[in-house]
Amino acid sequence: MKKISHYYSLTPEWQSEFVQKLGAKFIDGKITVIPESMGKGHSYFTQIIPGISVLFIDFTLKIPLKITRNRSDNPLYIFHFDLSEHVNLIKINNKSYEIGSYDKLDLAIIDNQIESSFTPSVNERTIAIRILVDKALLNDFIKKHSKKEEVKPTTKEGQRVFYHYGNIDSNSILLIQSIKNKSIFDLSFEPLLKGISLKLLGNFFNKFYHSQNSKNATDSELEAINKTKEYLLNNLYGLFPSVTFLASMAGMSESKYKILFKKCFNDTPNNLFIKEKMSLAQRLLKSGEFKTITNVLYELNYSKLSYFSSKYFNFFKSRPIDDFVRKQD
Amino acid sequence: MKTIKHSYGADLSWIENFANQFGGKIEDNYIIMPEELQTGTRYFLDCGEGIVAYYVNVKYNKNFRFIQKNDDNDFVGLYYNLTEGEATVSRESTVYDVGRWRYNLSVLDGSLETDYNVKAGSSTFALCIFIKKEKIKTFVREHNITFRDIDLLTDPNRNTIVRFDRMSSESYHLLNDLRKLEVGGSIFNLNLIGTVQMLISNYLKKMASRRIIIQTVNSSDLSNIIASQMYLIDHIGDHFPSITQMANRANMSETKFKNLFKKITGSTANKFFMDNKLLKAKELLESKQLSISQVSDQLSFTNNSYFASKFKENFGLSPKTFIKQL
Repeated sequence: MKKISHYYSLTPEWQSEFVQKLGAKFIDGKITVIPESMGKGHSYFTQIIPGISVLFIDFTLKIPLKITRNRSDNPLYIFHFDLSEHVNLIKINNKSYEIGSYDKLDLAIIDNQIESSFTPSVNERTIAIRILVDKALLNDFIKKHSKKEEVKPTTKEGQRVFYHYGNIDSNSILLIQSIKNKSIFDLSFEPLLKGISLKLLGNFFNKFYHSQNSKNATDSELEAINKTKEYLLNNLYGLFPSVTFLASMAGMSESKYKILFKKCFNDTPNNLFIKEKMSLAQRLLKSGEFKTITNVLYELNYSKLSYFSSKYFNFFKSRPIDDFVRKQD
Repeated sequence: MKTIKHSYGADLSWIENFANQFGGKIEDNYIIMPEELQTGTRYFLDCGEGIVAYYVNVKYNKNFRFIQKNDDNDFVGLYYNLTEGEATVSRESTVYDVGRWRYNLSVLDGSLETDYNVKAGSSTFALCIFIKKEKIKTFVREHNITFRDIDLLTDPNRNTIVRFDRMSSESYHLLNDLRKLEVGGSIFNLNLIGTVQMLISNYLKKMASRRIIIQTVNSSDLSNIIASQMYLIDHIGDHFPSITQMANRANMSETKFKNLFKKITGSTANKFFMDNKLLKAKELLESKQLSISQVSDQLSFTNNSYFASKFKENFGLSPKTFIKQL
C-alpha cells in the first residue's frame, strides 16, 4: 500500500508538497491530476471567502492508497462530505470509520489538530467534498456542539478537540449529486463548487440549530387529535368513550393515538377527561341547582357516591359535601 | 409617484444615498424603508471578489420610479427579478416588461442609465448581483475560454451589455430556495453567497453555450410560450395536457410550438413539466405533511413506483431515502 502524508491550510500552499509526493500534475494552482499509474481523476482546491476553502475530490484508484493528514496547528475544522457509492475508510485516533454511500454515515467533521487518514476503496469512484473552515468563524458552534455530545479526546497539550460523525441531510445530498457529473474544467465549475460548498455549510448549521424544534406530527394529525379532545370536552356528562373509539375517530391506531395525545397535551386521554369532568362536577355542586349530591352524581353518570367522593377528594383535597350548595326551595 | 435617483455599484458606497432618497436608514446589512412606501426586506452583502449581492423582497405601496445613473461604470449588474405585478425597465425609449412571467433576468452594463418603473401593489422578489467587469474578464482568461466577444463585452468604450432574458428553471429554483430562508444571520449569509455563486455559474454556462438570445424572438410568440409555461405551472397537479392542445392554445403549429418552447426554455415541454412536478413533489415531501403516496396521488402520477423511479432518476435518491434524512 502506498502511503502519503500531507497537511491542510486555508491557502493553497499545502498543495505543492502534496503534488510532489503524489507525483501528480498540477494545473493553475487548483487542479491536481492523479498520475495514470495510480488511477484516474483529480482534485480541485479553491478558497471561497476568507476563512473558508474547499477541496473537491473525484477519482478512481487502481492501487491501494492511504492518505494521512498530519495534525497541524492551523485552527481549522474539516467537514468531509462523502458521496461515494461504496465504503471508504477514515481513521481518526486509531479508530476506523466507514464513510460513503447513502445508507451509511457520510459526514465527518474533524479537527485539524487530530491526525486522520483516508483510505479510498480501489477501483471505485470516490467523490467527496472537504470544506476547511477557520475555527474563528465557528466559535458559537463549537460551544454548543461540545455541550451537546460527541467524543472529545484531548491532545497532549490538553486542548480540547473533537470530531463528529453523522448523516448528510437530503438537500445537501441533492446538491452534491448535482455537481457529480460536471466537468471540473468547465468555466462554470468554480462558482458552482463555491456556491454548493457554502450552501452545504448553510444546510448543516441550519439543521444543527433547528433540529430541536422539529415536530413529528403533520398538521392533519394534529387537527384530528384536537377534534377528539373537543369531542371529549363536549361529552363530559357521559362515560369515557374508550381509546379505541377516539383513535378510530382520529383515524389512527390506538398506540399512535395515545402517544400523540400525550405529546400534545402532556396527559393521557382518560386523565384529561376525568380532570375536566371533576371541575365540571365542582361547578355543578357549587351552582346551587341540585337538591342532593346524588342528583349531581347521576347527572354526571356516576353510579356510586363513594367512588365519586374519593375521586373528587383526590383532585380538590376537599369532600363534595364541603363544596355543595343546596338548591333552595 | 415617488421618484428615486440612485446609483448601484460593485462596492457598498451606493447604499447610503439610496437609503436617504427613500428617507430610510441602514441597520447592519438591512436597508430599512418607511412602511408607508413599501413593506418587506432589503438586504445587501459584500460577497468578496468584487461581487455585491442585493436582496429585495418587498411589496410596494406606491408607484415608484427608480432612475439609475451610476458613478462607476466598471461593473455589470445581473438582475434576477421575480416581480408579481407590473414593472418595466426603459432605456433609450424602448420599454421592456420585467417580472416573473416576463423578462425575469436582465443583464445591464453599469454605464447605462435606466429607468425602472413599478406599480403600487406589486410584490417584488429580486436578487441583484453586481460584478466588477475586471472579475469577469480575469475569470474567463484564467479558464482559457475563448468567447467570441468577451473583449467587446467588457470594454466600456466599445460596447455595453444589455440583455433581457429569461432565467433557467435551475436558477429559478435556486432563488425559490433562498426565498424560503429567514433573512439575516451568518447562516443566511452563507446561503446568499452560495446562491450568488451558483447563479453566476449558471449564467456563465449559458453564455458559454451561446444559447439563443431571447430578444431575437418575435414578441407575441415569446409571450405565447411564456403563457403556456404559466399554464403548465398552474396545472402542475394534473396530467400533461398534450402538445396538440398546448400548441392550439398558443396558436402555433405543433412543430413550431415544440421548437420554440425548447429554444426559449432550454427543454421540451414535457421535460419542463416533469421537472417542475418533481420539484413540487420535493417541496411537498420537505414540508412533512404528506406521505409519499399522497404526494404521488396529488401530482397525478399513475402509481407510486413510477413516481419513485422518476424521483430517483431526477435527484439521485429515492423519495424514501429523501424523507428519512431530512
